[in-house]
Parts: sequence; C-alpha cells; structure tokens
Amino acid sequence: MDQSAPLLAVRNISKSFGGIRVLESVPFDLRRGEVHALVGENGAGKSTLMNIVSGVVRPDAGEMWWEGRPIRLEGPRGAQALGISFVHQELALVPQLSVAENVFLGRHAVSRGLVNFREMYQRTERVMTDLGRSIDARRLVAELSLAERQLVEIARAVAFESRLIIMDEPTAPLADHDAEALFRCIRLLRARGAGVIYISHRLKEIFEIADRVTVLRDGRHVLTQPASEVTHEELVRAMIGRERKERARPAAASDASEEALRIEGATDLTVHRGEIVGLAGLAGAGRTRLLEQLFGARGMPRSTEVFVNGRRVRLRTPRDAVRHGIALVPDDRKAKGLVLGASVLQNIALAGGRGRVFIRRSQEERAARQWIGSLRIKVSGLGQAVGHLSGGTQQKVVLAKWLFAGARVFLLDEPTRGIDVGAKAEIYDTIRTLASQGAAVLMASSELEELTAVADRIVVMHRGCIAGEFSRAEATEEKIMHLATGGGN
Amino acid sequence: MSGDVPLARAKRWEALSKAGLLRRFGPLLGLVILCGALGAASDRFLTADNLLNVFRQSAVNALVSLGQLTVIITGGIDLSVGSVLGLCCVMVALLMRAGVPPLISVAAALGIGWALGAVNGLLLTKLHLPHPFIPTLGMMNVARGLALVISGGFPISELPSGFRFLGAGSVGFIPAPVILVILFCGAFYVFLSRTTIGRDIYAIGGNQQAARLSGVPVDSRLVLVYGLSGFMAAAGAIVIAGRMNSGFPLAGVGGELDSIAAVVIGGASFLGGVGTVSGTLVGALIMGVLRNGLNLLNVSAAWQTVVIGVVIVAAVWVDIVRQRAAEKG
Repeated sequence: MDQSAPLLAVRNISKSFGGIRVLESVPFDLRRGEVHALVGENGAGKSTLMNIVSGVVRPDAGEMWWEGRPIRLEGPRGAQALGISFVHQELALVPQLSVAENVFLGRHAVSRGLVNFREMYQRTERVMTDLGRSIDARRLVAELSLAERQLVEIARAVAFESRLIIMDEPTAPLADHDAEALFRCIRLLRARGAGVIYISHRLKEIFEIADRVTVLRDGRHVLTQPASEVTHEELVRAMIGRERKERARPAAASDASEEALRIEGATDLTVHRGEIVGLAGLAGAGRTRLLEQLFGARGMPRSTEVFVNGRRVRLRTPRDAVRHGIALVPDDRKAKGLVLGASVLQNIALAGGRGRVFIRRSQEERAARQWIGSLRIKVSGLGQAVGHLSGGTQQKVVLAKWLFAGARVFLLDEPTRGIDVGAKAEIYDTIRTLASQGAAVLMASSELEELTAVADRIVVMHRGCIAGEFSRAEATEEKIMHLATGGGN
Repeated sequence: MSGDVPLARAKRWEALSKAGLLRRFGPLLGLVILCGALGAASDRFLTADNLLNVFRQSAVNALVSLGQLTVIITGGIDLSVGSVLGLCCVMVALLMRAGVPPLISVAAALGIGWALGAVNGLLLTKLHLPHPFIPTLGMMNVARGLALVISGGFPISELPSGFRFLGAGSVGFIPAPVILVILFCGAFYVFLSRTTIGRDIYAIGGNQQAARLSGVPVDSRLVLVYGLSGFMAAAGAIVIAGRMNSGFPLAGVGGELDSIAAVVIGGASFLGGVGTVSGTLVGALIMGVLRNGLNLLNVSAAWQTVVIGVVIVAAVWVDIVRQRAAEKG
C-alpha cells in the first residue's frame, strides 16, 4: 500500500441533473488523519459531491482513487465496504431501539443464529469510552438529546472502523458546549488516522477544527488551502464571490421605548417596539420553552403575567397569541413552520384572514406579492410548492406569513438554523427592517456571533431563568458564555 | 449553453402542465375508458336508463365519501361511517313510525349522525388517542351494535311516502338522490376550496404542527370534520331508507371501505393535505360503474369484490407513478 497517497482523491468530477450542471470538473482529496472542511452556499454542490463520494450518486465524469488505487463505486454498499460513512444532518436512527442496537443496525452481532446483545452492549460501551463519552448502551435513542444521538451516529461509524467519515452540518442542532464535545470526538478520530470531511456553514468552527478547507461555488472548485492560511473574510468572499456588505444598522428606536411585550413573574422581560432582544443560553436553558409559552403553544406558569402593548393578555392557545399580533418563527421550519406540500400563497395566507368565512383570493394574492417583493423572496410564482425552496427562502416565507397576518411582536427561534452565509445576511437584514418599522423582536439563537451582530440587548438564560442581560455595546461572547454556563454576575 | 437553459425550462413547464392535467383529470379519464369498455362489452350498459341507475346506485356512496374525503384531507380516517349510516337509518325509520313528521325525523337523524361524528372528533382530540383509527373503530362497533339493539335486528318498514321521495323519487327524469349529490358536491367544493375553514383543513393535513403554530384551532376543526363525516353518513342513511322503504340495521355494512376506496381512487392522499371533491365524485362513480357493469356481464358478486380490490390498488399505484413523473419533470 502506498502510504504517501491520499486516503481519497477525486479528479474532474462532473455531474448534471436534468440538464443543469451541478458539479463541473471538481477536484478534492483527503489525507489520513485529516479534517478537511467543505464549504459553500446552498446549491454550491457540496451535497452532490458527498453523495458521489459515499456512492449514492454516480458521477457523469471524473476519476476516484482510494489509497492510490482507482475505484468505481457501485452504490452506497461499495462505499461502506471501503470504510466510508456518512453522518447525516437528519440523523438516521431508529428511536424505538437501544443505543447499541442502533450502533449495530443492520449488522447485529450474532451468535448461533441469535442476536448477541451482551457483545453488542460491550462493544458499544467500548466505542463510547474511546470517544471519551459515556452513554448507557441499553438506553432507548428516543430518550437521548440531539447531541447524544449524534454521538450514536458517530459511534456507529467508529464501530465499523470507518476510515472516512463525512459529517454534514453536525453542529447545526447543537449548543456551543455540545459542539465542543463533538470537536473532541473529531480530534480523537483524526488521531486514530481516520479522515473526516466536515461540511458546515459556521465558518468559526472551521478554523477551530479543520486542517484544510475547500470552497465550492456554483458547482466549481474555488480554493483549497490549509485552514491556518486563510481568513474568515477570504472564505466568505470565496463562497459568495463578492464582499459581504454590512448594512448600517438603523439606530434602534429605543428613544420611543414604547413597550410591546412584557413578562412578569418567574421571568421578567420587556421588549420595546423597534427593539431586537437576543435570547442566549445553552441547549436546554429554556429559550424555546419561553418562546412557545409566549405563543400559547405551551402552558405558562400560573404566576406569570404577559402584557402586550401594556394590556394584560391570556395566551392559552397559539390562536390567542395570533389574535394579539404575536408571531412565532419556530426552530424547525420544516416540521413546525410550513406546510411543505402546499404553495407559497397557501403558506403565506395560513395565519391571516381569521374570523372571515370566505377566502378573498385576489386580495390575498396582492398582499402576498407585496411581501414577496419587499422581503425579496426568490420564488417562481405564488403557486410554487415551498418544499423545494432553499432554507433561506423558506424562512422568508414563514416571515411573510406573519407579516401578512399583521403581527407586531416576533418571536424568532434559531431563525438562521441550516441557512447558508449569504442567505443568513439577508435574514438579518429582514429582521432589522422589521424592527426599524416598529416591530418588537425577541430572538433566540445558539450562535453568539449572530446575537451580538443583530440584537440591541442580549438576555442570557440559564436553567429556565434569566441569568442576566447585556446591552449591545457591552456584550462579548465571553461574558455571555460565563452567564449561560451558570457563572453569575 | 446560455440558450439551453430557457429551452430546458420551457420543456419542463410543458411536461409539468401535462402531468398536472393528468393529475387533475386522470381519474375522470379512467372513468371514461371504463365506460367505453363496458359499453363495448354490453349493449345494455350505455343506455339512459342504466346510466341513471348507476347514478342512483352511486349516490349513497358519493354522499358518504364527501364526508370521508374531508376526514382524509386532514390525514385521518373514519371507519365508523358505515355503522353510523346503519344507526341513522334505523333511527329515522323509528321516529317516523312513532309519528314524528318526516321533516323533523330527517333533521333528527342528521343531528344524530353529526353528534356521533363529533364524538369521534372529541375522543380523538380530548383523549389524545394516537390515531383516528382507534375512536372511529370503536364507534363503528358501538353504532352498529346500537342499530341492532334498537331495531331488535329487524327492518323497520312502511315509511311515509313523502319521505320516500328522497331515496326513490325523481324530478323529471333525474333521481332525487342524484340531485342531493349534486347539491352536496357544490356545497363541499365551496366549503373546501373557498372558505378559510377549508384552507385550515388542508393545512392540518399538510402539517398539523405548523397549522397549530399558525393559529389554526386544530382541535375544533377536527371535531367539525368528523362531525361532517357523521352528518354525510346520515344523509346517506336517509337516501337508503327512502329507497328500501325501511330502516334496515345492517344498512351500510362495508360502507366505510367503499367510501375510503372512492376517496383514494379520486386522488386523495392518506398522508393528508391532498384531495378534491371532483376526484371523489369520480371515484364513487368508478365504483358504481364497475359494480353495475360487472352485474350486466353476469360476473358473480364474489368476483366483483376481487375486481374492485384490484382497481383500488391499481388506481393508487397509477397516481403514485404520475406524481413521480411530475416530480422528475
């Protein structure tokens, strides 16, 4: 075996779908014990390239080498046999089975025709120990947190001695400290000589974890460099092909300081008109719970009182909240925010027109067109199904739905999750525009960078309570982390 | 290169609209082909008398299927419609035999159907049962049992002639049940596609969670939908009672499956969020035409059941193939 050859090398890979070129002569290689980050905007061709590497998609042209030998992958099984595994963004686990059964899914340890559970449990626990984490192999996956589930997927790859592990946005659902644990896992894998291809929209992570970084744009290879030799700005420019322009933030209308939303009781919090308040905290700190309570989607503690525009309101159902002009942009837009099979118009009109019997079609179309224009939503028409739109466009449809319904208080839960850099900037712009037009915004995010960039004030939550608050000027990521981890003032 | 893209796009549009047309008129095309084939096989099929007969025979299933359609659009299923039909059939006959005027008896039967359906909806939403299969399966047994208990297992016959008009009468040459079907189809079309409640119903089927978080009162909409399903079963019961001139406790046995078949043949999806009144009407007619045509061809009832089973699976399969073709463009 040629030790100097890279673990995997591809050259001149091209692929088209239905006459549209998705990859154009793309090169890529991965060495043993290397973490190679792959970045690019949505539609840049990252997923297609990874699907080719994992044998799911066959390239139209190009060559692949595995440890210096030319190979041709015949389906995902062929890639698995070489030791290539794919940790998907939507985790592919069976929630009703135990950790060990998931780790060995499809390849159960068998002795005398029966599943050997003892061996599976032991081997699973050994892998977990190797990864520096402890999860009871007998627990059901349904009981695990997202971070733990991800670990199960990685354990699956490790248990089968995968030589190449592809991770697609592994930190998207994780809070910062869980991401740290994931990085420790990745470093362990690297130390054992495995190669890791790491796809992420969070550029900061790439400098933390990756040895080299490759940028794709519109199906073409833009650059491959050691991560230590590129800057954040260079990467962004390579991804979007232009400088990201920071729009001047319109000064918050804090002088107006008319209160839009006030909570009193277990948590005390006020959001003014025209203000963007950030909600920081680790996963499980209660941010989503608070937002859902404010939207009436979850029971509110009896002692808590909510005021909208200074008037006390009762929020028992989401319908009550909508009636009071409160909007929720949920953390999982596909599961909670949109009807994916329905059209853009149907989604935008869904929250509006309550209390009316008949649909006023032409009026709705006119209003929807107006929001599509002012939010710059890229759709081919009102009848297009939202399921095929990009993440950023889908999120704008959710926002348009609430603008259409006349909402004045916006509760945003991880509004840019899974959205690429260029579209993120547009979502930030939209949020700022909302605020400058007098809406009150309460925005939860796991990305501190995002909060410090967008919010006027940042409220930090810890274990379901508010641990403290910072103005935009005084907030630093260190201070926020200190409070979020229970540090106190 | 630059010229290729608009061309490819234009072609895709063409393909899409073709697929869209197929999706829209596919069931209707199936019905026309079926009628043509049966007409060729039997010279008695394509006569005015026989076709009117087909419409009359399909009317009850069409009525029940409209309710079932509404339920299936929400992603649910109503297994109780056949039994609710049976119970309402007994009740309307019993009331009239007790001297209650026909109009009030009919209203009462419709109210009972509505109430039984609403109970399904309440059980589903208030007890948080995992799937509508459970409450409606329960109701299916309870309603049929009650129909047998109340009637003592025997048909209640000799109904007033004014009442029988709805099942057996006609206006000019058009059977009264057919007029009922047309009226209800129009009402359901307006309800499902022109009202905000109709839009809520599609949204609930498309993504219940998202609908709830958009302010749709999901629970009360579901109670309404199951109530409507019970109401339409009662409407079917009135037609049957009128036609048979009796309240028959075993009326509507298997009616739930016939209505589900009509709805899915008509292009609705069990996953929810998809389904049309016109498709369902065509689905009910396909079922009726098949039964009638096979009768004319002297195919035994046992073989008819086999054929209908095959048609249900084939219709849904064709629909899936069409959808895949549409997605590929």
